[in-house]
Amino acid sequence: MRTEPRLVSLQRRLLLAMAGGFALLLLIISVLLWSYARTAANRINDLPLAGAALAMLERASIGPEGPTIDLPNSAMDILALNTRDRVQYRVFSPTMGEITGTGDLPLPDGMDLSDVPRFYDATYLGAPFRFVIQGRRMNTPSGRDWIVVQVGQTVETRRHDQMSFYLSGMTGLAALSVIGLVCVWIAIRTALAPLRQIAGELRRRDPADLADIPGSPPREIRGLFTAINGFIARLRQNRALTETFIADVAHQTRTSLSALQGHLALAADATDYPEMKARVDKAGRQAARTVRLSNQLLANAMVIHRSDRASLQPLSLCPLVRDTLADLLRDSRMRRIALSFEDEALAPEGDRIRGDALSIREALNNLVENAARHGPADNSILVALENTPGRVVLRVEDAGPGIAEADLARATERFTSLAAATRGSGLGLSIVQAVAEGHDAVLRLSRSRLGGLCAELSFPRLAALMAVLLCWGAGEVPAARAEALSLFSATDAAAMEPLIAAFEARNPGIEVAFTEFHTVDLYKRLRAAAPGTMPDVVISSAMDLQVDLVNRGLARRLALPATHRPPDWAQWRGELFGFTFEPAAVIYDTRFLGAHDLPSNHRDLAQFIRDNEARLTGRIGSYDLRSSGIGYLYATQDSLQGPQAQRLIEVLGRARVRTYCCTADMFAATARGELALAHNVIGSYAATLARGAPHVGLHFFDDYNLVMTRTAFVPRDARAPDLGARFVEFLLSPAGQEVIAAHTPLIPLAPERHPDLPIARRIAERPGAFLAIRLSPSLLTYLDRLKQRDFLRAWDASVLR
Amino acid sequence: MPHPGTYDAAMRMLVVEDNEDLAETIVDRLRAEGHSVDRESDGAEASALLRHASFDLVLLDVNLPGRSGYEVLRAMRARDDDTPVIILTARSQIDDRVIGLDAGADDYMIKPVDFRELSARCRVLARRRAGTATNVFTAGSLSFDRRGKRALIDGADAGLKAREIQLLEIMIDNLGRMLSKEEVADRLYTFDETPSLNAVEQLFTRLRRKLDGTPLVIKTARGLGYLAYVSDED
Repeated sequence: MRTEPRLVSLQRRLLLAMAGGFALLLLIISVLLWSYARTAANRINDLPLAGAALAMLERASIGPEGPTIDLPNSAMDILALNTRDRVQYRVFSPTMGEITGTGDLPLPDGMDLSDVPRFYDATYLGAPFRFVIQGRRMNTPSGRDWIVVQVGQTVETRRHDQMSFYLSGMTGLAALSVIGLVCVWIAIRTALAPLRQIAGELRRRDPADLADIPGSPPREIRGLFTAINGFIARLRQNRALTETFIADVAHQTRTSLSALQGHLALAADATDYPEMKARVDKAGRQAARTVRLSNQLLANAMVIHRSDRASLQPLSLCPLVRDTLADLLRDSRMRRIALSFEDEALAPEGDRIRGDALSIREALNNLVENAARHGPADNSILVALENTPGRVVLRVEDAGPGIAEADLARATERFTSLAAATRGSGLGLSIVQAVAEGHDAVLRLSRSRLGGLCAELSFPRLAALMAVLLCWGAGEVPAARAEALSLFSATDAAAMEPLIAAFEARNPGIEVAFTEFHTVDLYKRLRAAAPGTMPDVVISSAMDLQVDLVNRGLARRLALPATHRPPDWAQWRGELFGFTFEPAAVIYDTRFLGAHDLPSNHRDLAQFIRDNEARLTGRIGSYDLRSSGIGYLYATQDSLQGPQAQRLIEVLGRARVRTYCCTADMFAATARGELALAHNVIGSYAATLARGAPHVGLHFFDDYNLVMTRTAFVPRDARAPDLGARFVEFLLSPAGQEVIAAHTPLIPLAPERHPDLPIARRIAERPGAFLAIRLSPSLLTYLDRLKQRDFLRAWDASVLR
Repeated sequence: MPHPGTYDAAMRMLVVEDNEDLAETIVDRLRAEGHSVDRESDGAEASALLRHASFDLVLLDVNLPGRSGYEVLRAMRARDDDTPVIILTARSQIDDRVIGLDAGADDYMIKPVDFRELSARCRVLARRRAGTATNVFTAGSLSFDRRGKRALIDGADAGLKAREIQLLEIMIDNLGRMLSKEEVADRLYTFDETPSLNAVEQLFTRLRRKLDGTPLVIKTARGLGYLAYVSDED
């Protein structure tokens, strides 16, 4: 009996089948659910897209120079509600050309102009986008023309929503499936109870009890039940056979030994020599038979014992058969027998089997000895090895008397010696049969063409070994890379150098190559950069330009430790990170203006200037919005805070405001007494500079003070993005923030954590008055070509008159 | 009592066997055949004796007190003692056989041994041995002089050619042992001669015809090879 190598569980099979069914069902439902989730995610996210398009269309107009649009900030704000996706828009007229925005956005297939929003998916610059396109007919001098607004978003939020709809749907279904499977499991267990009953019955049973199992099982396992009882019946029969076998062994050996003893006793009693000689000769023959009987009993036991063990090894039959036959031929009794061996029909390597050499040798010995014993002294024995498909056949045939057809079936039974004359033990062929069973081989007995018995042992052939080719993986050794980090920065070197030095000190072996730019140059350089010339980190104080670069898909997402993550306003998409806190401030000459003279809010500032126009004219400083990105950012953000901003610009213009490129110049002018006050300077710089100029004061408003942040991102095509990410992580880490607080004129992101900074105290005095400019697509509004042109025109009109 | 095929030249034999009854029967049987037989029951003692005394044949049991039969045999072969040895073993495992023959045994038999078979094997070994020692091999009417390279049948030259003499010598040296056609060819021809196996077959046919009537029989087992034995001894 061979034990099954792997236990198969009926229960598991049924469960697996059911689980398979459920899985198929889930698969089908999941496909449907997936597309439903997509539709739902699109429907939800299409609404803001349509809202933004509507808001933009509403502001389209026909001006003296043709169609134009005053891009509303609300449109971008609506889109920025979605914090994940990048944004693209375009305004054009099919008849009058591009108006503003990105001119090469993809149009839907078969577009027809309509005032109904149309949604479609398209790929733009390698990223999947969802677009809405909507038109509006406007009266123009040439008649009625269409103005079309196209707004698009990347689909990350849609994907995310789709996945979360899908997952919540699937979770429910999975729970349902689990409950279903549990029910199935319970049902199976109940159904299999009769089997356990049979198992219990068999387990409790005494080994000697071979009676049938009583009971009437369910129809489904009737077959098994009958089979078990049938098997028990065969066991009974087998036990009876074994009992007979033992009785036969006892009988045969005892008879043999009694005969031997008898002959010897008679020989001892013999009175004359010839009589004694005859008795002794008989005793000798009897002894020989007893010897053969015990040899074969031992061989039988040995073969059966070895067939139980995993003693099968790959072996070649041919040399084994040759050796065995050569050994047999040494016996002088074999001398007159014509023994021949044929292996010419073997295929190359055709004799390979899994076998036990000792057992096969024993089987072959028995077959040849049988032929020698039962045949004439000059018997011919032919041993042959040949191949049949998938098998190796060992054939032994002889020219002896053979076995009658009718007796062939009985020949392999133990103690069935068919030839009374030669008196075999009746074990020879049953040994061969046992060897065959131990090798998954088949023993076939037939009549030989030589006249005698033909015994064929057919072994399964061992498949030829396939040559295994070793695949050498192209294990490339990464080239030793110089640890150089390339940093492009549009912020003062004085602010960056301590940070770079601290980073290099903490990361020995990394050298930072620092290239300085103006904000707009940096922006242009990155937009034009060829792949492979990208730096590893980009830092700029121009938040809007940085958002624009990231919105174009140039940045790489960074996985920062949760502890280092900046507040929500100072990050976008996990790609762009602000690392400073820089409020706009008013500086003033304390010799000229008292702290109490200064207005406490923006509305009063315009009134204050108008009231003091005479003494302030020509002595107010402000950024030149055309040359300073920060100045433009502060001014545009001011204009979003209310109409007083526009009034302030008008008042400043009337007071002949002087414009500067940078905070340092405004500060110097104030320190020299040339300026009475300067508006929207960078508070952090001013506070640092104020330490050396005691008569320059720093003023914050009570209503709001704009706060901008310097931002950093790692370009998607950076050469050493890992180093870049490490640098950004350092900027945001407590250590990096501490360096910013202690060694640079900048203010760290959370000033309240650095109370020893004088400006931090000023900030803490006005809780809620510091209004951070969010990193979001709404910063794109004032980057719009038309919007920027119009804003600067208005500024020029006020300031340059 | 005359035993069939009593060998004309008595041998000096050593039986190493620890079972008293079996040893007694073997010794008595061999003595009855006219040999002078010594007996040892301890492996170590047998080994000591073999170092000093010389025998024509040793019957060696495997399971012995003192030293095992294999160790005794290995010690003999290690000191270039090429006395023929027949191993007697009660185990029928193939390993014993391989170890026995590898250790340098000339033959082996599995107990219980048939005494006639034992005598026959002894005679075969004695002949091999006798042939090389005295340079004259005799079997009934056939005698072969190794040194003179001459075969005589009934005293007259058998008229063997040089190759046939060579083949006869090979077969006498391997009496009772199966030689494949390839093995014979290897010993018969030098590396350069590249004989056909057909030529070997024809040579055997001729030699067999010329030896016809003598007790030396060359048996052919087709597909296996050739085996020479002396027939009048059974």
